[in-house]
Parts: sequence; structure tokens; C-alpha cells
Amino acid sequence: MNIPRNGLVLAAAAAALALAGPAAAADCTIKLGVVLPVSGPMGLVGERIADTGQFAVDVFNDAGGVKGCKVEYLLRDTQGQSTVGVDAAKSLVDIEGVPVLVGAISSGVSLPILTSVAVPSKVTQISCCSSSTSFTALAEEGKTEGYWFRTYATNRSQSAMGALLTANKGYKKTAVIYVNTDFGVGLAKQFEQDLPRLGGTITKMVAYNEEQQSYRAEVTAAMEGDPDSLFLVAFPVDGATITREWLSLGGTGNLVVNNSLRSADYLEAVGSKHLADLVGYDSAQPRTDSVATFNSMFEARFDGPPDGPGLHSMFDAVTVTLLAMESAEEINGTSIRDNIRKVTSSGGEPVHPGPEGIAKARELLAAGKAIRYVGATGPLQFDENGDVQAPKLTWRFEGDRNVELDYYSTGDVAELIMKLDN
Amino acid sequence: MIGIVSYLVFFLVIALILGVAVLGLNLQWGFTGLFNAGVAGFMAVGGYATAILIGPSREAVAGGFELPFVVGLAGGMVAAGAAAAVVGVATLRLREEYLAVATFGIAISIQLVALNWEYLTGGTLGLIGIPNPAAGLAEGPLARNVLYLGIVLAAAGLAYAGLGRIVQSPWGRTLKAIREDETAAASLGKNPVRIRLEAFILGSAIMGLAGGLYVGFIGYVSPFDFKPILTFQIWTMLIVGGSANNRGALLGAVLVWAIWTTSGFIISKVVPPDMMAQSGALQAVLIGVVLVAMLLFRPRGLIGEEEHVSRHVRP
Repeated sequence: MNIPRNGLVLAAAAAALALAGPAAAADCTIKLGVVLPVSGPMGLVGERIADTGQFAVDVFNDAGGVKGCKVEYLLRDTQGQSTVGVDAAKSLVDIEGVPVLVGAISSGVSLPILTSVAVPSKVTQISCCSSSTSFTALAEEGKTEGYWFRTYATNRSQSAMGALLTANKGYKKTAVIYVNTDFGVGLAKQFEQDLPRLGGTITKMVAYNEEQQSYRAEVTAAMEGDPDSLFLVAFPVDGATITREWLSLGGTGNLVVNNSLRSADYLEAVGSKHLADLVGYDSAQPRTDSVATFNSMFEARFDGPPDGPGLHSMFDAVTVTLLAMESAEEINGTSIRDNIRKVTSSGGEPVHPGPEGIAKARELLAAGKAIRYVGATGPLQFDENGDVQAPKLTWRFEGDRNVELDYYSTGDVAELIMKLDN
Repeated sequence: MIGIVSYLVFFLVIALILGVAVLGLNLQWGFTGLFNAGVAGFMAVGGYATAILIGPSREAVAGGFELPFVVGLAGGMVAAGAAAAVVGVATLRLREEYLAVATFGIAISIQLVALNWEYLTGGTLGLIGIPNPAAGLAEGPLARNVLYLGIVLAAAGLAYAGLGRIVQSPWGRTLKAIREDETAAASLGKNPVRIRLEAFILGSAIMGLAGGLYVGFIGYVSPFDFKPILTFQIWTMLIVGGSANNRGALLGAVLVWAIWTTSGFIISKVVPPDMMAQSGALQAVLIGVVLVAMLLFRPRGLIGEEEHVSRHVRP
């Protein structure tokens, strides 16, 4: 039954030998397994991400490789299908012997690879783009054994920022009105846990359904218990309706709102004179030189700016993995897992992307010093579930525009979440 | 060397799970002539039912019965069969392409239900932490996968032997009679509508079994696992292997899955590294060429239908 298959494998091996002859320049190679959808519906997105990963490897190789060895970028196509993805990952691990898998994009492919290939084989998996909260849940149950990382920032920080704003303003009794979608429900439920940890109390939680003419009933319900502030999780149109009714029924002007309401539509519909005491949070771009360094390196290589999903986070996923290999005494899945944390330790010497950064990292590691990779997405700080955070900012309305109040770096956000979760 | 063995075991587990689904389709298309284009949908029903029955209990999600794996598989078969009964009563009066369109739509609907009925399926997050029945019995990934391969072999063997008996029985001959000429079969006093429904339910239950086996192996289920491309793959396996032949169905599953997966391996060896990201399309081309060539040279599949004659009329 397997004869044709073996035939194919032999043919492939012969072809590989023929090609390998003149190409084998470096004395030793270190393999990096990559599983991404480079065909199918995600193909175009995946291709750019795959090229960015190759770019990160090239940068490392030009700077001398890992432990003096050339890094081989072994890319396999998942075709956006879980069955194909797990097979590709398994063949990379078993036949090529890779100690680490970078990928995939869709959570529906990454998670099967994690549970059926990476964790059982003790291979580290790091994804640029999978966003599902299932990974966090799995990690909390101890089922990932620490082998899972992602450089894509999760949504956990939203409720934390809302709670922080409420507490910093000195509000004691807060009502919550939130949109009845998975986004709103998840955020509000988390806020319900976060706020008491910072000293506030919640008087009432009220969900609203989208696109209603009036929210009088919801607003009236939220006023029970005489709150001194309102945390509103909404989108601009419905959010404006709710705010107007809240204020006209005598609700407090002490509003704390989510990122979606940082919009001109909302401001115009309610009127800025009513929103003087409103504060909100939003995501922010990381503010470090390392981001600019990456952007200019990327432009020089690809003749265009790195705009597109997952490019920054893919570059960081690959670079942090290679740094972990450099830092490890012996390269295997478990040592990479442990060393990813070592090269992103908060007390370490900052190291930026690019040849100088890599050279600096190598020197520091050789001298036994701790390093902290600050990359294309800013400083990476993995929590115990392998998740990272993105920087946030707070804002308020002033006249007909919104102004930034404070900037919270990735480290600040991660620290806040750790405080809330422990 | 151990790596290659380990990979082959893993490969065979997935290939044979798909093979079980091909057996189910073979009963429907190969023997009865029912064009079911919703294979992935019935695998999804079986997969989710198994996951709910054997999975750990969770807040905000149904299930968590933590039942033994065998019970989970049986539950998956019953659920897929029940879904097929509902679908069958509504659609089986349709013929060929009309049935194909209807079942295709149903598979998409099932996927959408899985995406949105969060209480039952976990929605886009899927159901995590589904226990692998081999995990407690063996140490290390290879031993575990070998054990799971044993489970899959047993399931595939049972399905193969059972279906082999069934299609040689008088009921099985009626299936072929209906496939060849429904009017003639009806004129002999057979009830084609009922027998078509029975074959549809049984075939779909076997697809549900395949879904359950897949979920137990991967330890996770999400709507993403049952995309329409899966239906296409199962169909390709049946056509390449040889429809109306159960050995052909299993052979087709292993062979097509080998082509599908080794093409990625071959391309990674042949294409220069800096062209890798652009080679995705090449893999699709390679798969397509091999399949077309196969159909050109063996239009009836690798092993076509064998003649079955009632032992009462044999000389």
C-alpha cells in the first residue's frame, strides 16, 4: 500500500541531493520549522507573513547565524486546513527534527497543531497571529506545558484599562452597560472581576441589544443603586443613544468608555459640553526606536512599508525564537521554551532588531548577561500563558477633538494585568 | 529512522480516519448512487457529539459528561445518523445534482450552527481539552499514536467488515438495484425511498464515526475542522480508489492523503528557500495533476466494482 508513497519520497530525496550539492556552504545548519497558509483563502496574507519570517532569518544569518550555524527556514503550507496543518507540523518535527514550530495563522489550525504535535513532542510553538482565547484557557489548565507563545496581543487588557481608569478617577460605585455580543460580554464579565481588585464596586450590570430606537429601559435599570460613574462598552451610534438618555434621565457625567467610542460620530451625536468628564482607553502604537528600525529595514528589503496583518509580530516571533536558540546551551524544544523567557526578561539589557542588535545580544549572552528583546512590536513580555500585551493610551474629549492623556507601555499593561490576575 | 516511523504512524491515523468517512460515502454513492456533497457536515455532527460526550465539564458550555471514548463514538454515530434522518426525509426525493446542492447547503448550515451556537459548540473558540483515549494508557507520543492507530484500525476494520457483509446481503443487492434502475426496483416491490433513506442514515453515521475519531485524536474541535474542502477530499479519495469497492475506498484514502501531504514535502525539498512562500500554488497544481492523471489512466478508480452474484444462482 505504501509503495507509491515511498517512491515519491525517494524521488524527493534524489531531487534534494541534486540541489544540495553546491548549495551546502555552511558547516552546520539549524532548522526552523514554519507552518503557514501560503495557498487557499489566507494565501495572500500568509505569503507576506512567510516572506517576513524568511527576512528575519536572513537578518540573523547575515549577522553570523545561531551559534555560528546557518539557520534553515523550513516552510510548509497548511492550506488553511487543520488536517494538512497537523500533518505538515508532524513531518517537520519527526522527519526534519525541528525543535520549534512557528505558526500557524488561524487559531483553528494552530490549536490542533499545539495539542496533537507540539505539546506531545515537547516542541515549542510560537504564533504570529492566532488570537483565540482558547489558547489562554488551555494554558491556564496546564495543557500547553508552557510550549505555547504568541506575539499577537490579546484583548485581555481592555477590561483592565477600564478598571484602572475608573479606580484612578476615584469612583466608588460604578454601573456597567455593555453591548450583548461576544466582545461586550467577555469584556464586561472580566471588568466585573477586575474593578473590585482596584477598590471599586459595581452597582449593576446591564446588557443591551444593538440597533434599538431607545435604551430607556436599560438606562433606568442601570441607575439602580445610585452609581457615581458609568462604564460603557458600546459602538458609536448605540453608544450615543445610551449616553444621551443616561444624561437626560439624570445620570452622572462621570463616564468611562471603551476604545470604539473614541470617534467623531459619537462626540458629535452627544455634544462635547456633555462629555467633559468622559475618559476612555484605546490601543497605542509602541513608542520605541526598535519599531522604526524594523520599519526601515523592511522598506529597504521589500521596497514598501510593512503594512499588513501579522508582519511585525511574525518578525518578532522568528527573532525571539532564534535569540532563544542562541541563548540555549543545547538546542531542543524544552530549552527553547525556557530561553524565550530568558531573552525577554524584564530586567535584561534591551536588544533591538537588526545586525547590530543581534551582535550585541550575542556578546551579552556570551558574557552570561540577561537580555531583553525589544522588537518590531516593542518590548515583548510573555505572561505565564505565553500571551503578550500591546501598549495602551487613555484619552478624553476637548472641544471637537479627542486628546491623549497618558501612555501605558507594554510593560505597564502587562504589570497591571499580572496585578489583577494574582 | 524512528522519526520516519513516528511520522508514518501519525500519517496513517489521519489517512484511515478519512478512510472511514470514505467508507460511509461509498455506501451512499458507490452502492446506492446518492450524491452526498455534505460529508463534512455529518463528520462535524459526529465530531461535536463525541466531543460533548467525552469532554471535560466547562462553564457556559453544554456537555462535560466525561463518558468513555467508545460511548462518545457511539453517540457521535447516533447524532450523525439522526441528522441524516432529518435531512434525508427532507431531501432524498431529490435526484443527483439536486441532492448534491441540497446536501452541500446543509453542510454549510451545520458549519454555521457550529460557529454560532456557543452554548453547544463553544462557537469560534471551539471545545478544548478533549481527552485522548490513548493518553492514559501509553507513555510518549509514539506509543500513544501507535495505540490510537490500533483504535482507528479497529474502527476502520469493523466498518469495512460490516459494510462488506451488508452490501452482499439481499438489502445490499437492493441498493445496487436502486442505483441502476429505480423504477425497475420499485416494480419488483422494493420501496426505493425507504431504502435510500436507510443507506443515507447508515453512511452518515459512519461519517460521524470518522468525525469522532478525528476529534479524539486531535483533542480539540472547532468549526474550522469541517470546511467544504474536506468533502472534496473525501470524494476524491473515493473516486481515485474506486467507488462501489470498500477496499478501493480505503486504498484511495491512504493514497490521496499521501499525495496531498507528500507534495508539500517534495516542494519544500525542490523549491529554493527564497521562493518557498510562493510555492503554495505549486502544491495545489501538483495535487491536481496527479489526480487528473490518475483519472485519465484509471477512470474507474484503482480498484473498481467487483461483480457480486447471489450464492443461490452461482453454478
